[in-house]
Amino acid sequence: MDPAGVFATSFEADAALIRTRKQWLALALFALLLIALPWLIGPRLLAILTVMLISAVVAVGLQINTGYAGQINLGQAAFMGVGAYVAGALAAGWALPFWLTIPLGGLAAAAFGFAFGLSAVRIKGFYLALTTIAAQSLFHFSILNLPWFGGSNGVTLAPASLFGFELSSDRSLYYLCLTLTTVMVCGAFGIVRGRHGRAFIAVRDDDVAAGMMGINVVRTKATAFLIGAFYAGIGGAMWAYFVRFVAVDQFTLFHSIWFIAMVIVGGMGSITGALIGVFIIKAMQETFVTLGPSLVSYIPSLGGDIVYSVMNVFLGGVIAAFLIFEPRGLMHRWNIMKQSYRMWPFPY
Amino acid sequence: MIFDFLNYLINGALVGLLYALVAMGFVVIYRASKVFNMAQGELVVFGGFMVWWMIAQVGLPLSIGLPLAFAAAILFGLAIERIFFSRLAGESVFAMVMVTIGLLILIRGLILVLFGPAVRPFPIVFPLKPIIFGDILIPRSLLFGGLITIVVGFGLSWFFNRTRTGLRMTAVAEDHEVALSMGISVKRSIAFAWALGSALSTIGAVIYLSGKSLSFLASDIGLSALPVALLAGFESIAGVLLAGLIVGTIQGLVTAYVDPVVGGAVGSVFPFLIMLAILFIRPTGMFGWKIIQRV
Repeated sequence: MDPAGVFATSFEADAALIRTRKQWLALALFALLLIALPWLIGPRLLAILTVMLISAVVAVGLQINTGYAGQINLGQAAFMGVGAYVAGALAAGWALPFWLTIPLGGLAAAAFGFAFGLSAVRIKGFYLALTTIAAQSLFHFSILNLPWFGGSNGVTLAPASLFGFELSSDRSLYYLCLTLTTVMVCGAFGIVRGRHGRAFIAVRDDDVAAGMMGINVVRTKATAFLIGAFYAGIGGAMWAYFVRFVAVDQFTLFHSIWFIAMVIVGGMGSITGALIGVFIIKAMQETFVTLGPSLVSYIPSLGGDIVYSVMNVFLGGVIAAFLIFEPRGLMHRWNIMKQSYRMWPFPY
Repeated sequence: MIFDFLNYLINGALVGLLYALVAMGFVVIYRASKVFNMAQGELVVFGGFMVWWMIAQVGLPLSIGLPLAFAAAILFGLAIERIFFSRLAGESVFAMVMVTIGLLILIRGLILVLFGPAVRPFPIVFPLKPIIFGDILIPRSLLFGGLITIVVGFGLSWFFNRTRTGLRMTAVAEDHEVALSMGISVKRSIAFAWALGSALSTIGAVIYLSGKSLSFLASDIGLSALPVALLAGFESIAGVLLAGLIVGTIQGLVTAYVDPVVGGAVGSVFPFLIMLAILFIRPTGMFGWKIIQRV
């Protein structure tokens, strides 16, 4: 719903994502803030922020797959891992530049995800989710046993370089990730309001009805997996350049569940929601990790492991609480608030 | 040579029965509430820790400690139902599955908070000495466990297919709303399912861990049992026994004969390959209800 006095007079205006001057202003300020941040905060916060940007790409992919197309995906971390490993192996083995390895990593992950999306030909719903668990364990197994990925030693790669510059400092990595994330997020906004996005939503809401309307349901589901896995792969490749050491235990079923938690908390079916979810979950994680040790030093009887476990309890509780009390996530809550603010003082 | 083969075969089959027991936890919860419980492995670990706590920590004898541990596990299952699932009756499958995923993390965290990540020696419930026939060694815990599994399996199968209460729960598994309109209490059915599910998991924990070491990582058995439940079809309880035997023997033989050749953990990934194959070829499993829609 638009604020009072804003009426779309053309189709372009009605389809626009940013509808008022104030929204443009807010977006510009936010972009400026993101660009200026590396000079405002310390290296630790900057690293956290970079991880957030990387996770944002993966979570947005999951949002398209799960939130828009309605396919539960418990293997997003495996898809991310495929991207990371392929990008890492290409960079380490063939010394390809990062602007080739990152898209290639994304494509490899997309192919892997597409293979699992194709199982939609035979099964749907929960059974389809099970194949993604199998994807997780197959990924683990193949990475450790295929000859190109260094087995359990992982892959170590050189920093990304552009025109002879090494992108190894915190700031340059941040800008690299910021650029890629911006591109991917803009792409996601485009996808979900285009033809494919509408097909995704139709399939999510009722796949039988969607089929009746002439949507190729199987192809749509497989496409959703393809796109979701592509995003995961790009995120994985960014991760590879960020940590410069890829190991198989960075992409477990547990990480997949974290991504699902981000999407649930932020709000299903909203790209912005995915971004908010990433921010909140990652911020919570980091708060626990940062505050934990100091808390333990005050009360030594707690022990150091308690931080990790309390974080788990908290996360599990948050997922369950959101599903029970606000299944549509924070974004939905925010939209309700915004709407009632715009309506005020009228009830509707 | 032939004795080696027999050894692998029998042990594989017995491990398969253990998987079947854990898978039975999945199936029972599914069969009575239409919830697919991803946190089954966590329930096993929780049951294991209850047994460990009662016997090794509090120091109760087995005859008192085990029943108390079962009571605690059942109460835990009921608490889960009360806190989470009684609010979700009639919700979409998606929400239910996601809540069990949340539970997976929650219970794991809870176990870590309560008991810590340290590896503990699990009390010896079944004597450690294996039974020996000539050259064949059979671990006692697995043998007794296998027998218990078979008895429990047929008992539950009879309960769900022949008794009035069991059939009521089956109705809940088919459709919450229809069951409600027939005057069946969905909440009670779900509560019973979770109590039964956690009791079964505790039996599983006792058999699996007896005399071994216990840590939160033991929950991996939940995922290993997934292919068994899938092969049987999520609705069939007796079928789980057969599926467990099949998956267990195949996995045992693959671990014994293929792993040394390939030099990797084919045995551990093989159940998942079986799972993928089932999903593609026959998603309802061997004995499942044929209601899976495909598009």
